[in-house]
Amino acid sequence: MNSISQRAMRAWVGLGPRFLPFADAASAGVPLSRLLRLSLVQVSVGMSLVLMVGTLNRVMIVELGISAALVATMIALPVLFAPFRVLIGQSSDTHVSVLGWKRVPFLFNGTMVQFGGLALMPFALLVLSGGGAAKDYPVWIGQAAAALSFLLVGAGVHTTQTVALALATDLTRDDRRPKVVGLMYVMLLVGTIASALTFGYLLEEFTPGRLIQVIQGTAVVTIVLNGIALWKQEGLKRMTAAELAAPQPRFRHSFGRYMQGKAARRRLVAVGLGTMAFGMQDVLLEPYGGEILGLSVADTTKLTAALAGGGLIGFAAASHVLSRGADAFAIAGLGTLVGILGFAGVIAAAPAGSPMLFAAGVIVIGAGGGLFGHGTLTAAMNHAPEGQAGLALGAWGAIQATAAGLGIALGGILRDVAMSMGALEGLGAARGYMIVYATEIVLLLATFAAMSSLFRRAGNQSSRG
Amino acid sequence: MDSLDDPNRVWPTGLTIKESEALHRHVIDGARVFFAISLFAHILVYIYSPWLK
Repeated sequence: MNSISQRAMRAWVGLGPRFLPFADAASAGVPLSRLLRLSLVQVSVGMSLVLMVGTLNRVMIVELGISAALVATMIALPVLFAPFRVLIGQSSDTHVSVLGWKRVPFLFNGTMVQFGGLALMPFALLVLSGGGAAKDYPVWIGQAAAALSFLLVGAGVHTTQTVALALATDLTRDDRRPKVVGLMYVMLLVGTIASALTFGYLLEEFTPGRLIQVIQGTAVVTIVLNGIALWKQEGLKRMTAAELAAPQPRFRHSFGRYMQGKAARRRLVAVGLGTMAFGMQDVLLEPYGGEILGLSVADTTKLTAALAGGGLIGFAAASHVLSRGADAFAIAGLGTLVGILGFAGVIAAAPAGSPMLFAAGVIVIGAGGGLFGHGTLTAAMNHAPEGQAGLALGAWGAIQATAAGLGIALGGILRDVAMSMGALEGLGAARGYMIVYATEIVLLLATFAAMSSLFRRAGNQSSRG
Repeated sequence: MDSLDDPNRVWPTGLTIKESEALHRHVIDGARVFFAISLFAHILVYIYSPWLK
């Protein structure tokens, strides 16, 4: 060890415990303030997601003049990292450290990766747009740099979210989990909405300098929020030499054991189908309102807010009912039925020419999605086998994020294919959307069918599965 | 402060030397990541708007 490290080490060991990031071992139960701090990870996740999918999507196409196909590819890149959530979750379950930490190192590393991606991103985008002196350099430099920055942010988001949810599972008992899940969802929504408004305001007068300030500012806020979130969350746990040297289970073995659990496969299929069903309409909502119902841009923007508002109603209702002991699968199943009702309303809005019916349908879809998301996440936490919380939450997140990404892509493709099919011309301009909404109803019915046997299981046995 | 040689001594933090080394490693790894990112960011900035020209 060199002399600077030696000196730094002296500083570490001389500090009081107050200044070190270990939880107070004496505290009984986990106070709300600690869970609130942990949920700040979700705010930074929401911030990064809205930046990539919303704000930069527009900035890259309109202000930087990058081709829409390239922009779509960049935005899709983080989804490629979603399946690795299972691996991240399993690694955090089996992580061995002298400090006894399992989750905090992953939160720290994930935060650093997310920060790195955001710190590079504005420069990468400016080079990608061929601005300044960048036009004298090969095109691939900008493309590779932008792809790397999006991948890094995606990797960071998937890591921090998976591990934060696993940590929340570690910290709370079964009966408090519905409230924690509600808190986590609400904080994600808060991060998304607040940062969408802030980015919109800050980038109103676009300059390259402002772009750098906004994205790098996001990077700094990410470090600060996640730093506050991980502070004193895990206690110092002395490991014996035998514990440190013990061989850890391999991923394949752990995953195999998890999949052998009661109805694990069926649960994951249901999460995938349901999330895809709810996700397909995400990017079609505003064009449907504008193109078919003739709503203005201001009105269609309100639709997105209505969807989020419906989601909040769903989370609140699910938190309320689940914390009183309701079955999480039954609530998720109820969410699919509510969703079907909402999609039926949205389909009926076009022939009826009723924007009100459309808005009501959107709110109901939001509520259904909220109930479904809350129910499946609570179930994933409560049914996580002992010592496999990270793997269980990783599997839930991997399926959920991949299905949401696939759903958005499929929604757009399905609409375009239906629009080009002559046989459906009788349905008018709405036919593309109708096909998508009808497909979503079918998918939700399939989800309900896949989940129905889980209600019975939950009804027959209330023990952890 | 005494030397850092005694492996079993618990310091005012409640940490042993091994434990504080593990904590220190996280700090060093973070600093390395910061360095790599800033290096790469500087290259990109130079491509976009070269300085000293």
